[in-house]
Amino acid sequence: MEFKVEAHRIMSISLGKIYNSRVQRGGIKLHKNLLVSLVLRSARQVYLSDYYGGICLSAQQAREWCEGEYMASKQGKLVPGSTESLSESDEQSEVAVDKQEPRDVVESPAGLHVETQASGEQDSAENGVSDSGCSDIKTPEESPEATQTCEVASVVTAISSNCISAPSPSDPKEETETPTDCQTDNSESAEKHSYEPKAPQAYTNRKRTADDSELTDSPTKRTKLTSTSLPSTNDENKGETEEMDTSNVSSLITIFGSSFSGLLSNKEGEQPDSEAEDSDSGQICCDQMLKNLNPWSTAIVAF
Amino acid sequence: FLLAFPSITLIRTVRFLPLFHVLISVKGPWIPVSLFLVYKIKTQMDEEIDTRKINNSFLRDHNYATEADIISTVEFNSTGELLATGDKGGRVVVFQREQESKNQPHRRGEYNVYSTFQSHEPEFDYLKSLEIEEKINKIRWLPQQNAAYFLLSTNDKTVKLWKVSERDKRPEGYNLKDEEGRIRDPTTITALRVPVLQPMDLMVEATPRRVFSNAHTYHINSISVNSDYETYMSTDDLRINLWNLEITNRSFNIVDIKPANMEMLTEVITAAEFQPSQCNTFVYSSSKGSIRLCDMRASALCDNHSKLFEEPEDPSNRSFFSEIISSISDVKFSHSGRYLMTRDYLTVKVWDLNMESKPLETYQVHDYLRSKLCSLYENDCIFDKFECVWNGSDSVIMTGSYNNFFRMFDRNTKRDVTLEASRENSKPRAILKPRKVCVGGKRRKDEISVDSLDFSKKILHSAWHPSENIIAVAATNNLYIFQDKVN
Repeated sequence: MEFKVEAHRIMSISLGKIYNSRVQRGGIKLHKNLLVSLVLRSARQVYLSDYYGGICLSAQQAREWCEGEYMASKQGKLVPGSTESLSESDEQSEVAVDKQEPRDVVESPAGLHVETQASGEQDSAENGVSDSGCSDIKTPEESPEATQTCEVASVVTAISSNCISAPSPSDPKEETETPTDCQTDNSESAEKHSYEPKAPQAYTNRKRTADDSELTDSPTKRTKLTSTSLPSTNDENKGETEEMDTSNVSSLITIFGSSFSGLLSNKEGEQPDSEAEDSDSGQICCDQMLKNLNPWSTAIVAF
Repeated sequence: FLLAFPSITLIRTVRFLPLFHVLISVKGPWIPVSLFLVYKIKTQMDEEIDTRKINNSFLRDHNYATEADIISTVEFNSTGELLATGDKGGRVVVFQREQESKNQPHRRGEYNVYSTFQSHEPEFDYLKSLEIEEKINKIRWLPQQNAAYFLLSTNDKTVKLWKVSERDKRPEGYNLKDEEGRIRDPTTITALRVPVLQPMDLMVEATPRRVFSNAHTYHINSISVNSDYETYMSTDDLRINLWNLEITNRSFNIVDIKPANMEMLTEVITAAEFQPSQCNTFVYSSSKGSIRLCDMRASALCDNHSKLFEEPEDPSNRSFFSEIISSISDVKFSHSGRYLMTRDYLTVKVWDLNMESKPLETYQVHDYLRSKLCSLYENDCIFDKFECVWNGSDSVIMTGSYNNFFRMFDRNTKRDVTLEASRENSKPRAILKPRKVCVGGKRRKDEISVDSLDFSKKILHSAWHPSENIIAVAATNNLYIFQDKVN
């Protein structure tokens, strides 16, 4: 999908800007970096949600996923209740949830994620952003058509994909159908991902405010995520992100160094810390996302 | 362009070179603009480069500008007699309007250079290993109370109060020292005399009277003088401090939006201004597109706003860059104090202080850029902070755009015009044509297409005379002054 490519491009540009800001004369400009981090966050969500929104899995990918090695770190975030507080997608996920009530995945995305790799609809529902260079907003009805194409992604090696085929909102067992559908649709090489923004692209455009997001996030997260599934989800998520980001922006990552450690590595140690901080387990991924995307804020704190 | 900062402190001569003096008028009776004057502040370095470029047959009207000469702020004083500009090199140039003379009625009050001084120098914060830019972010004049003029100028960290005064007399006839200042031998003094003030050539001198420093952790983006003429506020990304003009070692923090955990940061303060008639009221704008009005009588720390001006986002315009383009870059009270004007990337909005839910008027400055946000993000243009200004009667508002275009909106007739500040389009007695950007489809003659716009030529800073139709527009390192047609 072109918006995935666009999102990826925007991510790279944003990371470059954050890097350059460190060497700019006059010090780090808080305002500009805040805006860049917001864009980076949005692009990242769009980019990662693509993997789960009706993406077709290659056989290899399915294997890799089954091994549990690769899980998009965003997966947890994409799951409703794990997105960042600043993300509009949280609200969208909520709306998607409302619209797709029959789906079990909506009810327990975490469990779904761990068990079946699904929740593509959740992820795709989070694509609340649209750009001139990005894909159009899709309705759940339209997405099945788009599902047919497969996209080549050099970066993504494995995704806990949501290879949910033509969405049948009333089907609670979509996730189980996923692997089969994906394999049949997949025409890509093993190295590459074929994915598709999945059906439930129920975009809702709601005003994004941190306050709103935080308020709406907490209740949804509590109901949806289970603490047991979360840690593994996060680990898997991290792995995926790590793979994806590493191959794309490895040079930038090495330059950033420790500032992006959360973004890159499976820091399981962070999990308990976040959990300890936040009684609401759903907030953990959100916090991590914030930490990951605000490495420069530590520099600001050092001011 | 990164000169090692110690070299910046070398003295550079600044020469004022009037380039043009033409009479231009704009069609349309409601905004007559004419008398086009251009001042280009050149340094010696510039002139060498100019010669070289001309010899090498480069473009004659080259866009090359020394980074330090880029004008970063423009401000008229309260009477309009003086016009101050600050640039990236930390210099302030003050222009004064010459008295109208009967001999030359067509030269109705030109602005000539009155004083030039180096306001801020580049500094290095050794503790944080940060270089502090000398760029002048804002200049604000104090109301005139005696023969001298006072202005506040600020860079990222330090505000300075400058006194600009004239000296046309000097005392002569000291007893203890001779005319050259050498101490006289007391044994040679046989009589005492009283020193007498003798006329001398007019000299304008600028002296720093107060330095307000070490109060801001983040970059100062605006200053605003209070109507009580005793206090002023300085605003950085997260805090607003209130100062007494006389006291430099103490300031009061009146707004603090820094979160306990910096990683929870969601918005920053982008601009702030005191209400022009109520000394207890001020507003500050945020990067999220909201404006908060605060009353200092309510509490010492004005973290809780009295009013919140915010317009719900249009969901159909969602994009990756929605947050960036909704960030407010400038906020200005009308002269009456009744209205607020805010500038975000694509629009100018006028708010009524009595209505918080939505703006009174919204004007599209360059909506054709909405489809180009991605490219503008790549080349950093999306972060440009445009300013906006009211005219003296609050009936017309003006703001800048790209390609050296600037836009004026008449609030009463709802008409708008796009003008260009460019030397190519100015000939003696020529008429300054309104420009038009062609959005799509067939491009008419004289229209310019969106793709042909020069995004390196941007008008971020401009000022409007407080009572007359005189505007000052800063285009990179050039200052253009437009005036009403005399007829």
